[in-house]
Amino acid sequence: MTNMNRRNFVATLGLAGTALLAGCNGSEQPADDAQTTDETPEEASYTLVKEGVLTNVAELGFAPFEYIDEDGVTVGFDVDLSNAIAEKLGLTCEWLPNQAFDTLVPTIAQGGKADISIAGMTIDDTRLEEVDFSDPYLNSNQGIVALAGSGETSETLDAEGVQVACQTGTTGNSWIEENLPNATCVPLADVTAGMMGVSTGLYKAMVIDLPVAQNMIAESFSDLEVVEEIPTGEQYGIAVSYDNPGLKDAINDALAQIEEDGTMDEIKQKWFGTTEV
Amino acid sequence: MPAKLRHRAPVIEVPPALPADEAASIAYEADQGLTSHHFTPGEHPIVRIEHLNKSFDDTLVLKDVNLNVWPGEVVVVLGPSGSGKSTMLRCINLLETPSAGHILIEDDEITNKSAAEVNKLRRDVGMVFQQFNLFPHLTAKENVMIGQTKVLKKDKAEAEAEALKQLAAVGLADRADFKPAQLSGGQQQRVAIARAVAMHPNVLLFDEPTSALDPELVRGVLDVMRDLAENSGMTMIVVTHEMGFARDVADRVVFMEDGVVVEQGLPEKVFDHPENPRTAEFLGSIN
Amino acid sequence: MQHRRGALLVALALALTGVFATTLAAPRPAQALTTEKATARPNEDGGDGVIGGMDTRLTWEGTVEPGEEVTSVTLTLPEGSTFDGSTTRITALEGLKRMDVTGEAVPAGSSITVNFDQAIPEGSLLRLEITNMQFPSEGGECVVSGSYVSAGAEHELADSKPIETIANTPLQSIVNWLDDQPWVEAWNSNQFLGMFLKPQLLVTSFSSLAPGWILCLGIVVAAYPFAIALGLLFAMLKISKWRILRAIAVVYINVLRGTPLFLQIYIMFFGLPMLNINIDNNLLGIIVMAINSSAYLAEIFRAGIQSIPQGQYEAASSLGMNYVQTMFTIILPQTVRRVIPTVTSDFITAFKDTSLLSSVGVMELMMFSKNLTTVTGNITPYVAAGIFYLIVTLPLIKVVGIVEENIARSERGSGPRPKRRADVADSAAAQMKEATDAC
Repeated sequence: MTNMNRRNFVATLGLAGTALLAGCNGSEQPADDAQTTDETPEEASYTLVKEGVLTNVAELGFAPFEYIDEDGVTVGFDVDLSNAIAEKLGLTCEWLPNQAFDTLVPTIAQGGKADISIAGMTIDDTRLEEVDFSDPYLNSNQGIVALAGSGETSETLDAEGVQVACQTGTTGNSWIEENLPNATCVPLADVTAGMMGVSTGLYKAMVIDLPVAQNMIAESFSDLEVVEEIPTGEQYGIAVSYDNPGLKDAINDALAQIEEDGTMDEIKQKWFGTTEV
Repeated sequence: MPAKLRHRAPVIEVPPALPADEAASIAYEADQGLTSHHFTPGEHPIVRIEHLNKSFDDTLVLKDVNLNVWPGEVVVVLGPSGSGKSTMLRCINLLETPSAGHILIEDDEITNKSAAEVNKLRRDVGMVFQQFNLFPHLTAKENVMIGQTKVLKKDKAEAEAEALKQLAAVGLADRADFKPAQLSGGQQQRVAIARAVAMHPNVLLFDEPTSALDPELVRGVLDVMRDLAENSGMTMIVVTHEMGFARDVADRVVFMEDGVVVEQGLPEKVFDHPENPRTAEFLGSIN
Repeated sequence: MQHRRGALLVALALALTGVFATTLAAPRPAQALTTEKATARPNEDGGDGVIGGMDTRLTWEGTVEPGEEVTSVTLTLPEGSTFDGSTTRITALEGLKRMDVTGEAVPAGSSITVNFDQAIPEGSLLRLEITNMQFPSEGGECVVSGSYVSAGAEHELADSKPIETIANTPLQSIVNWLDDQPWVEAWNSNQFLGMFLKPQLLVTSFSSLAPGWILCLGIVVAAYPFAIALGLLFAMLKISKWRILRAIAVVYINVLRGTPLFLQIYIMFFGLPMLNINIDNNLLGIIVMAINSSAYLAEIFRAGIQSIPQGQYEAASSLGMNYVQTMFTIILPQTVRRVIPTVTSDFITAFKDTSLLSSVGVMELMMFSKNLTTVTGNITPYVAAGIFYLIVTLPLIKVVGIVEENIARSERGSGPRPKRRADVADSAAAQMKEATDAC
């Protein structure tokens, strides 16, 4: 990996419910303590790509989080959440056209095209090198999808010549690299291509976010099943540029309000049929 | 060509080809005094053209052409452009399909033959083209060899020996390994003649062999043809505008105009005392 | 597997404890925290090795056994490892449900102690992800041992399965050396240069993309002879006398040329398995590329064949050659020379188009770059891939130029000479010779 500034001391904290505590590059601000967001001034100063509009960018094939429905409308859990956030901020919400998942972080890091990426994106240390994240808004896990009844496990999959698909740049991608070192990791642009490949036997399995796996299997891939749930306990956050700390604070504020006033539960209920997510 | 057939103008009715012996005796009578070539009673013409008609779409370019050519005879066909002389020549080796009439080579009707039979026929009828049509990817020697090896199935050494012999005969022994692009037009045409002769055809057709050449290159080609005519005993039908060549070399001169054989006869007769005013007019305009 | 075993154990144990809590507790060894697994994130640039002496991330997982609680965990690695400067993320899960757990990590050389603010309850899966730690620089098998505190007493932690680590590779040394160069830092501080032309990544990309590059070349080189044969076949069909054969050729050529290669790849890779036809990925890649190129080549060949003057057919016919002989000895050899430039261009296109195979898991150049870009979040690997493509395409483009030049020259010099003396100079020598011959 690239040269990371080593710090000689730093006793670090792992705080559940917050982002990783210490940034990796000296230039980056450490994440705020989750509990301090209330102190952010009401008139947050932030910049937007387009005035009055909260511009989102995401990979729009990630049901139930963000996808394009039969009518061509972008819908999903993240969409409702982002609308709620925009409403709290007195903004309207717009989505850029579909973009490959692995381009989202660079897009936000570069700035100028989108303000935020709310895309079922797990807060993790590599991404934190490039972009900042809001407070986590949802917990998630990974799942291994394979043909129903195939009996595949993470042990059988970890073998030479076995192709395991994932979506490029996702946590599933790095999970395969770290945990299935003998298998061949096949990163793909979209989830459907991977599921289709597993269904036709092109790939042995796919590792993706569990809610997405369950949704895909229920909606269109009845011949597949989640053969193994991987309890990663990862957390989705909203990617924001480090150059726009005001926006991150404003979003955290809005998130807190949404949690408090029950909007979050409504959205969860709508998309997952339960608030226990 | 089948596509064209469908839009063919009205079918031209011609009588069936004459029986060989009858045709031969008629030809023997008819051609007396028309050629300086010596032919004998009972001998059969090598090429017999009876009532040959050819039309392109609605234009009739050959109208009831009749002609006999005797073995070893050198016939020169003259006529203005568009008179149908090249078309007649191309009909003889079926590069054009006659619309009606008969062409017989050694008393063998060549029209309405299968593709395989046509190929067999063509190896016996050599052709030298106005544009040479050498194969540019092959050397001079290979151009002369390819017909022998592919069609006559000669072995390579034999074909090569023949090729070198024929190239020497046209004065190009030292150009055997040159590609056509490295040769002058005149040299190319001489290679083309060697290529045709190497197949030892019964009849050799020349379709305006010097028309595409610069004037100073014409003579070399004509010399080769003259040599062939005088020393090989090959039957030659030559379409050309070279009056000198016709006068010196031809056994018979045929004058065509507008798809019709207007006049034929001994060269000195046709050139010096043309019977037909059209012939006189044409020769006058050339000379 | 470890997860599942852990989950099963937990479930089983939980179920049993209700009934046999005391009986089971008694014979159990004093193991309140079972080590599930320990893995390290690969930190070899462009590779999948875990290199010692370089920052990486250790992930350790353990299950808190029933009836137990854990308040502190100490992980120890072999001598030479260091946790100094690391950051630790704590995750605790009950099943798939995340619990709120906080704590403090205290690195101390090759050990790290994590004290939890709240005891980790029974049945939890505890995960510690320690970022920016280092394994011993000499590499080797690293076992994670350590201890934990449960109910105020310290216990030994069972050893993990060893983590394979390697010593620094020469390539990595170059990268590390580059890391320390001021000019590299200056270079990378330019946003564009750092994003597209990061020297460290260029170095690693070249070594790690090479297999993908070889595969690309292999696929297209293996596919092309078939493409040529198929293309020739369909070119012949297209100029055939028979309408049905022409129709077949037209449909084949137009459908393949008229649809994106991407679609054709999808149909072959996903469609064939659905018909229970299972072919190796690379072989299938070769087949798709061959079929796709054959359609383009068919058109190139057809145009090439039809560009051969009619006189060539007539000359061949007048020698008595049949159609097949004419085609194979006269027409096609000339066609080949004429189409070499276009065919080479098509080869270049086909070579670049192999990149689309990355969408279906063929491990070609783009796939490797994508992997690397994913890991690094940097575009440089794609640029390196571009350079790899250029290594093949630039010489070929040069070849096309030379061949085109040659053909132009040979066509200028060959064929019927126009009567008007346009290019006398060109053939002056030949004509002089001719004139001398004639006299």
